[in-house]
Amino acid sequence: MPPTNLRNSRLLHRASLGSATSRRHFLQFSAAALSGVALSNCARNLSNAGSSPASSPTNSTANKTLHIYTWANYTDDELLRGFQDRTGIQVVVDTFDSNETMLTKMQGGGGKAYSIIYPSDYMVEKMIADEMVAPLDQSRLQGTDRWLPQWQDPVYDPGNAHSMPVVWGTTGLIFDPGRVSDPIKGWDYIWQNVDQLSRRITLINDVREVMGATLKYLGYSLNSTKPAEIEAAYNELLKLKPAIASFITNGWEDQLASGDLTVSMAYSQDAIYLIEESPNLQYIVPETGSSLWTDTMVIPKTAPNVDAAYEWLNYMLDPENSAKMVERLKIATPNEAAFEKLPTNLQQDQNLFPSKAILAKSEGIAPVPQAITDLYERYWTQLTSS
Amino acid sequence: MAISSSTVEPPAPAHPGWQRHLTKLLQPFLLLAPSGLWLVMLLVVPTVLILELSLIPGFRLGQPAGGYGLGNYLQIFQIVYLQVVLRSLYFATGATIACLLLGFPVAYWIAIKAPKRWRNLLLVGFILPLWTSSLLRAYAWITILRPSGLLNSLLGAIGLPGQDWLYRSPAVLIGMAYSFLPYMVLILYASLEKLDRRLLEAAADLGATPQQAFWKITVPQTLPGIAAGGLLVFIASLGDFVVPDLLGPPSMTLSRLIYDQFLRFRNWGFGSSLSLILIFAVSVAIALLIKYGDRNAAQS
Repeated sequence: MPPTNLRNSRLLHRASLGSATSRRHFLQFSAAALSGVALSNCARNLSNAGSSPASSPTNSTANKTLHIYTWANYTDDELLRGFQDRTGIQVVVDTFDSNETMLTKMQGGGGKAYSIIYPSDYMVEKMIADEMVAPLDQSRLQGTDRWLPQWQDPVYDPGNAHSMPVVWGTTGLIFDPGRVSDPIKGWDYIWQNVDQLSRRITLINDVREVMGATLKYLGYSLNSTKPAEIEAAYNELLKLKPAIASFITNGWEDQLASGDLTVSMAYSQDAIYLIEESPNLQYIVPETGSSLWTDTMVIPKTAPNVDAAYEWLNYMLDPENSAKMVERLKIATPNEAAFEKLPTNLQQDQNLFPSKAILAKSEGIAPVPQAITDLYERYWTQLTSS
Repeated sequence: MAISSSTVEPPAPAHPGWQRHLTKLLQPFLLLAPSGLWLVMLLVVPTVLILELSLIPGFRLGQPAGGYGLGNYLQIFQIVYLQVVLRSLYFATGATIACLLLGFPVAYWIAIKAPKRWRNLLLVGFILPLWTSSLLRAYAWITILRPSGLLNSLLGAIGLPGQDWLYRSPAVLIGMAYSFLPYMVLILYASLEKLDRRLLEAAADLGATPQQAFWKITVPQTLPGIAAGGLLVFIASLGDFVVPDLLGPPSMTLSRLIYDQFLRFRNWGFGSSLSLILIFAVSVAIALLIKYGDRNAAQS
């Protein structure tokens, strides 16, 4: 049909004439899209820094909802569903990636929705000192008499008066034994092989863990408060700098499995997850001792739903439930009653429950006076700014 | 109030002059109030708060605050922190130059050589990568650049030695250039599109070689676009957090330093002064952009 074709071609012609203006519109549109993307990137960076904001519970659901603030991988759907079946309370989980991030949020007033938070040992001590957590009413808890010896009267919270230990572990090294020259026994390996390890190791992105490991390597206490010892540790780390690819707590896993990294310093928890996927890898706790960490549960003073918080603590104390959680999530429990319910292979898993000899040499990170904290921070800034 | 002025002819002015005057006065306030409030609440007030915090030396959350002073600002002149500032400037300058060198030929080709009907599509092609998360793109570069990654497989296949760029400066420059190249191309394109080609023809008539014509006509005419694109890339890469943190050496840039002060050391005073200095540097760059940049290109 010739006429139609004619009309089409005329339309096309007009369209091409109008392309100059439409291109300007297009540019405007794309610039708007660009700035939108740029803004969303900003937002992402911010949320990266501060974790997601907690949605505040509305009044009608306040008694039916429990907001908890915890580490990634410490809860799963089955755990939350089990709690809801038992109590009818729905759990909303937000996660943080460092104690400092959590503390900043709680101090800044952004954590008023949470009735349960999971600080680590040294942070519990700090939060108790800052009067941020409520003492636990022991009469409302069932089964708190069955802790493994290490957690019956922990230094960070005598008598577990304010906190309940929930997960513990070590800090160590993970590597592929097929790719290292000698079997790795301790921290000294990375210093002795600095030349071969150029950008082949990662260290945890945490001041006290990295400085603590170096202090242990030098034979000092993990919690040294002597400026000379801390300076010696800094000087050792400076020697190690050419070997360090990055300071990252998570994100080294793929590259370690593929052999692009040789050794990574890791929390036992993360190492255990990776070894499930890549059984050729090996995790060790250095023979000179390492850091022994405990993550706990506390009820902040600002908790809006204290009753639900106690329900949660009792649910987590239940040995049956706790043992199942250990089997599913591969996290080490300090609850002896739960430990006894575990299958033998898990009880004897050295990565999950290291031997008493190693535990005896290890220490938990303890708070140090502000002046010493400043010193640690100053050396850390020097290390990461050069 | 509905003023049906066309149907009802007013016997006397129903709305006295002062009322119309008032409406005229209020109009801008009513129209600007929503965005004005937004700006005041979410930009002006926080900036003033940051300014106040930056003037309290060593202000830490959860600790009693001391008196006012300039300590936080003086701290920046310590060698430790100057190193960090210089590193950030180095990455931002490098990324700007890389974007210019990579972006100019592309923009030139799209604006001048490519068939007209393909131009929009080609530009979309350039913007498309921006529609994915910057975090994902940085992780993608880790996969490409790591020793056993895609880049080294390709280099190995054609018999070239492998490169070990990840966790070093080249990786940061590659990642930033990749992230911000679209900004550069869009702005240069807008600038090159307006190029007066009769001048090029005249130059050719008068015996100029294509090279001479390019350097004496094309480049000077697009200089405002180059300035606008360069400053935009510079600003964006100066404050970038993701690329240097994921791909870079275990040494900080300015954004990581600010992050650490706020979240790791909770030294909000020093963190605030660093933030303000970054805001100031970016403001200067934007002022330069407005003064010397290609206004039309920057607006488009």
